[in-house]
Parts: sequence; structure tokens; C-alpha cells
Amino acid sequence: MTVRNSVAMNMAYRITDKCNGCGVCMRLCPVDAITGSKNALHGIAKDRCIECGACGRVCPREAVNDPFGIPCIMVKKSLWENPHFDQITCVSCRICIDACPAYCLGLSDASTDGDPHARPYIADEKACIGCGFCARECPVEAITMAVSPGTQ
Amino acid sequence: MHFGYTGKILTVDLSTREIREETIPDRVYEYYLSGIGLAAYILYDRIPAGVDPLGPENIMGFVSGLLAGTGSLFAGRWMVVGKSPLTGGWGEANCGGSFSPAIKRCGYDGIFFTGTSEKPVYLYVNNGGAELRDALHIWGRDTVESEAMLVSETSANSRVAVIGPAGERLSLIAGICNDRGRMAARSGLGAVMGAKRLKAVVLDGKKRIDVHNRAEIKRLSQTCNRWVQFQPPIFAGPVAAYIGALMRILPVQMAMDGMVYKILLKKWGTGGMNQMSVEMGDAPVKNWRGSSVDWGIKKSLSVNPEAIRKYEKVKYHCYACPLGCGGICSTKGKDGETHKPEYETVLSLGGLCMNADVDSIFHLNDILNRAGMDTISAGGTVAFAIECYEAGILTKEDTDGLELTWGNSEAIVALIEKMIRREGIGDVLADGSKVATRKIGKKAGAAAMHAGGQELPMHDGRNDPGYNVHYSVEAAPGRHTVGAQMYYEMFQLWKVAKRLPRVKPLYFKARKYIADEEKAVTAAACSKFMNIANCAGLCLFGVFLGAKRTPTFSWLNAATGWNKTPEEYLDIGARIQTLKQAFNIKHGIDPRTFRPGDRVIGKPAQTEGANRGRTVDMEKLIRDYYRQFGWDPETGRPKEESIDRAKLRGDEYGI
Repeated sequence: MTVRNSVAMNMAYRITDKCNGCGVCMRLCPVDAITGSKNALHGIAKDRCIECGACGRVCPREAVNDPFGIPCIMVKKSLWENPHFDQITCVSCRICIDACPAYCLGLSDASTDGDPHARPYIADEKACIGCGFCARECPVEAITMAVSPGTQ
Repeated sequence: MHFGYTGKILTVDLSTREIREETIPDRVYEYYLSGIGLAAYILYDRIPAGVDPLGPENIMGFVSGLLAGTGSLFAGRWMVVGKSPLTGGWGEANCGGSFSPAIKRCGYDGIFFTGTSEKPVYLYVNNGGAELRDALHIWGRDTVESEAMLVSETSANSRVAVIGPAGERLSLIAGICNDRGRMAARSGLGAVMGAKRLKAVVLDGKKRIDVHNRAEIKRLSQTCNRWVQFQPPIFAGPVAAYIGALMRILPVQMAMDGMVYKILLKKWGTGGMNQMSVEMGDAPVKNWRGSSVDWGIKKSLSVNPEAIRKYEKVKYHCYACPLGCGGICSTKGKDGETHKPEYETVLSLGGLCMNADVDSIFHLNDILNRAGMDTISAGGTVAFAIECYEAGILTKEDTDGLELTWGNSEAIVALIEKMIRREGIGDVLADGSKVATRKIGKKAGAAAMHAGGQELPMHDGRNDPGYNVHYSVEAAPGRHTVGAQMYYEMFQLWKVAKRLPRVKPLYFKARKYIADEEKAVTAAACSKFMNIANCAGLCLFGVFLGAKRTPTFSWLNAATGWNKTPEEYLDIGARIQTLKQAFNIKHGIDPRTFRPGDRVIGKPAQTEGANRGRTVDMEKLIRDYYRQFGWDPETGRPKEESIDRAKLRGDEYGI
């Protein structure tokens, strides 16, 4: 017995008929909201979409519209923004880790320099989809989203 | 359109395996908020009068708070609710960890279970939906092991609330565990879960939580955080005891400011109070018979704040907590690590049983967390058994050869292991001291220190009579997390709700023991305010900072887009209090039976120690408290019209 859950009030991203069904977005979507068979028009389940925008950033044909109907522009993966943590401002509240839909954040062990608190860090940089939810939810603004210098 | 809460609950019938999603009208949230208020609304209506708490008709729920996931600090508490098998009435248990936002990330404010499953199952909810899965292979395993297994078979990011062997064996003092040892321990709700054969709830949702004004919440959080992070260097751990002793000797008392407590918490966690509490008379000793004289500074030195903290590897923060009072400690146990024992645990397994062996306390904390058994009730029950043994009511034959003398740590460990396994004497004691009294015989009753069946926590109402009031008047009795005179001082509610009485910064101690009406006004304010905090899912230690520094009401307004005044919120708190009381009446509870033992309220008064000569007219305080809510002052029953006011009428649903 299963039941589908939904959040009716959220707006969602939408795939237009420019889609050629390459499936890149489907593989990236952190909530499995995108369905469609190969080389056919894909669709986004409105009740699952969390508006992370990953599909829009990855689509080579710019076939994804954001909730306002504006077409998203593809960005090279190396130019996606990643979270950068200010360890002095951070209060170890774990809100960012909970907010991350891609599960790419981890909690460090206590550092050796006498700081008894565990701090968040990017544990799996490849998994980061650059949604910025961590920075948006951080209560003390300890996270900035920026392109990592080494990857440009 | 609504913000802050999700507007939906999930109901699971374990008998029919039917899972349903229900939309809750916005009006309900405006009337009761989310969290404990929502739970009271659902449970009052839906649990039929007089059902067996361990039967299929009882409903148990896991609820998150309104502020969880909104960016408000301290909003990481989740609550388990249901009809308590321990007290027979309203049951609630409150816990930190990471489970609270997980409920909302699945799209729900609460998940409610009814019915009884034939086979052990667990509920798994992820972004796609919810399903019941077989849990036979996990049944019988401890909470830490179970959590690891469930995480590995679902998702690395799953959040797990799980019962241990104690809950499975229907021990009435069993709790529910998350994050490898944080427990929603009180009210015996682990037994309800065990009776339903629901081993665990596993959540892995990724839904967003919509907030009305995130920028405002962040601004408020940052102001609050500045208070939290202010941490001047303070004295060494063992010195705390001498400060407690000084507080005992002085005839005057300073109104407690939450900042002082916060500084102790941030440095040591709740363990900062281990010795100080005994010295100032806040901690009961020797099953509430002893005092600071029996358990002096030298004896309690083994559990001084530093002795506990030295095992700490890293601080443990619950979700959304900037303070981090918890700790992960290294031990010799199974996994080499365990949660730092809390103050309540150290004192209930320590001073209450005259046990000075810190290693045994660490060990017991670990095995009780793994078994999913409440450390407060376990300690209280052991102390009860020791007193019975010393008085000759229990003999060596009854105890299967255990020498249950005060402070015999080996016997205490062996006894608790027996309680977890329900073996011999352990089976007699596994349901707490009230049930044990029935089994052992009437003579044992005088040693059972409980209120309404629930063992009392480690705060002595002879020192702060406010505790005794709340032990007696709450719908879930015997709880230290609602109110006390000291709590009222720390909440500083008068700074935001002008009607409430202001506390003098310095006063004579004798004033604490006068049963005037103001005591009832402040106690009622604590109940109302803690209902709001439990609706919001805020941590008690967060709101201790004071209503201005931890802006509960402003956070709620910013999250929901409402424009309610603190007074309006406190009225909601009063409504919930009445509804919970009406729940107890509906289930045949006489509120007058919720009284701690005579010893606890100072009848007769102690002859030595910090609380010597102290006794308070509890009956007057309780009558005055009932009046504050418009209940009958003699019986504690809410009058018909106040129940009507507390219930949402059909035409008010606004559907």
C-alpha cells in the first residue's frame, strides 16, 4: 500500500517542446520529478519539483522554463556555484545539511585547533547541483555561493 | 495559501495497512498552531474514551514544530503523542535530534498511527510516497543498530525514530530514539509503538518549507545568535558545586537569567549542573529521602562537570541549534562512542541511588539508550527498589540474589540489565514504580516517587515549589520541562506580555514558599508558553534565554504571515492546556490523583540539608492554578463552557 504525497502550492519548472529527450536532466534531478522515455519529450511532475533549477542549468537545448516561464540558460558544470563556508560565522546548526536535496554536505569531526564543534563541508563536490538551498536557509549567512576558483 | 506549516498530516492504519493523506484546514492552525496543539486537536477528537493505551484504538503521533525548517534557531524538537500507558491519560514526549525537519520535508506536520500490525513493520516515507515495510529482521535489535540497518537499507540521509527491546517488550517506561541515542523518553510511548508492532519511522523527504518572510526570520535568528555566542571564560567545573553551596546558604536569591544557564550549557551541557544542583537543593538524593548532607561535594565530585566532559570528542548539535549542549563521548562500549549523559541521567542513576561510580553511569546511559528506556524512570524505579530492599520489603530472594544497597553500582547495572530483558525482578520493575508497587505489595507504596504513575525528574519541588505544581497539574504529570518559578524568571514573558507579573531581580528566598495567587498566575503562564514553544517545536533551553532574546512570537509571525500579539499566542496556549486536560477527563482520569508522594512536597519537612523545614501549601497553589484556566478549582475538571471554548466549532473550520 503506498500513497503519493504532494505539495500543491509549489510552482514548478516546466519542460518545453524544444526537449529532445536526451535524459540529462532526468539523471540529475534530486527528487526524481522528471520522467520520459529516451528521445521523447520529458515532463516534470509538478507535485515533486522542489525548484532547485538543476534541470535548467544542465539542459543543452534550453528547453526548461523556470516557474515564471523564463527559459533557463545552460551553464557549464565547472561554472556552477558551490557553497563556501565561513567557519567563523558558522554555528554548526546543521540546517544546511538538512536543506541539501543532493546530499552532498557532510559534518566534519571536531577540528584539532581546539574548536569542539563539528562543521559542515562539501563532502561530495561532484554531487552538488548548485541550487543554493543551503545558503538560502543558513540562518547566520555563513554560506556564500560562488564558483570554485580551481574549476574554471 | 499558508506558510510555515505544510497543512497536511499522514494517517496510517496499521491493522488495515491503509495510508491516507489528510488536509488540515488553515483555521485549525490558527486555533491550535502546529506541533503539540495540532496533536491535541487530533487526539482529543479521535481517541475513543477509555481505550486501552496498548490496544489498536489508541492513536500515536509524531509531530514536528511550526518553526522547524523555517530558519528559526532552536526549532529542532519533535514530539510523540498518544494516550500514555504509564499514566492512563495524555502522553507526550519531546526530543531533539534531526527528526523534526524530516517530518516536514516529507510534506507533513505530523504522522499518526492507529491500529495494530500483525507483524513488525516500519513506515518508510520518501519524496515519492509512503509505505509500510517488513521489520522482522530488525525486531529485537537495539536502537543504534536498528538505525544503522534502516539507514543502510533505505537512504544514507534517512532520519529514523525507532524503539529498542524495551519498547518491544512493552515496558511502560520505554521511549523512542533518534540520532543514535536522543530519546523521546517520557510518558511510556515506546510501549505504545511496541504494542502496535511499529518498529520505526524512517523519513527521507526533500520537500521545501515555504516561509512568509525568510529575511525577517534570519534577522531575528541573527540577533538571537549573538546572545547565544556570547561566552565569557568561566570557572573550572568543580567550582560550580561551591557556587551551589553559596546559593544554599544565602538568604536571598537573584532572579535567574537564562544567559547564566546558557553559559553553563554551552561549556558543559546540562551536566554543568550536576554538583551545583545537589548543593543548592535542586536535585533529589537517596530516593528523595536524603539531602546535600548525604551526598556532599566530595561524593558528587566523581560526576563534576569536567569529569563528564573529559570524555567528549565533539559537541552534538540538534537540528537548528546554535548552542550545542550535547556531546559525543568516547567509551569502552560497543561502538566506542555514546551520547554524553545528561544531567537527568547522571542524577537519577547517580545521586538518587547514591551511586558515585561515573563509569557505571556512562555504561547505563548507553545501554538504556540502546534499549530505548527512559533513564529518568529507570533511575527512579531502581531507587525505589533499593529503598524497598533496605527496608526489608524486597529480600535477596526477590532480587535474584542482587545486593540492592545504596550505591552498589554493580547491582544497579545488573538490575537495569534485568529490567531491559524483563528477567525475574527486572520484570517486576520494568513498568515503573507504580506498577511495581501493585506487584510487590502496598508497603512499597511509600517508596514509589511518582506523579500519576510517572517517575519524577531530578528537580526538587521543596527547593522550587513551582516544579511540584507542574508535576501535579499538567495533563502529562511528573514533567520538569513545563514550568517552575525559576523557569518563569528565565522566560521573561513580562517583557513582551505586559499583563504578566514582573520578577524582582533580588528577593528573599522565603518568598518562594508562600502560596500566594501570583505563583498560580506565573505557573499558568509557564504552561501556556511551553505549549506555544511545543507547537513551534522550540527547545526549552532556547526559550530559557528570555522572550526578547529568543523571539518565539516574532518568529511565528514571520514564518506564517500572521500578525498575532504575544497575548493572543498565550491564549492559544491556554486553549491547548484545557484541551489536554479535557482529554484526561474524557479518559476517566481524576486530576487530583496526579500528586507526587508526600515526601516530595515536604510532608513532613526535611530535618537537614538544603531544603530543611520547607513545605508549601500545595493544595492552595493547585486550586489557584486550576482557576487560571477556568477549571473547577476543587476537581480540576474544565467546565463545559471552557471545553467548548477550547474546541473548534464546526462553523469555525472555514472550509
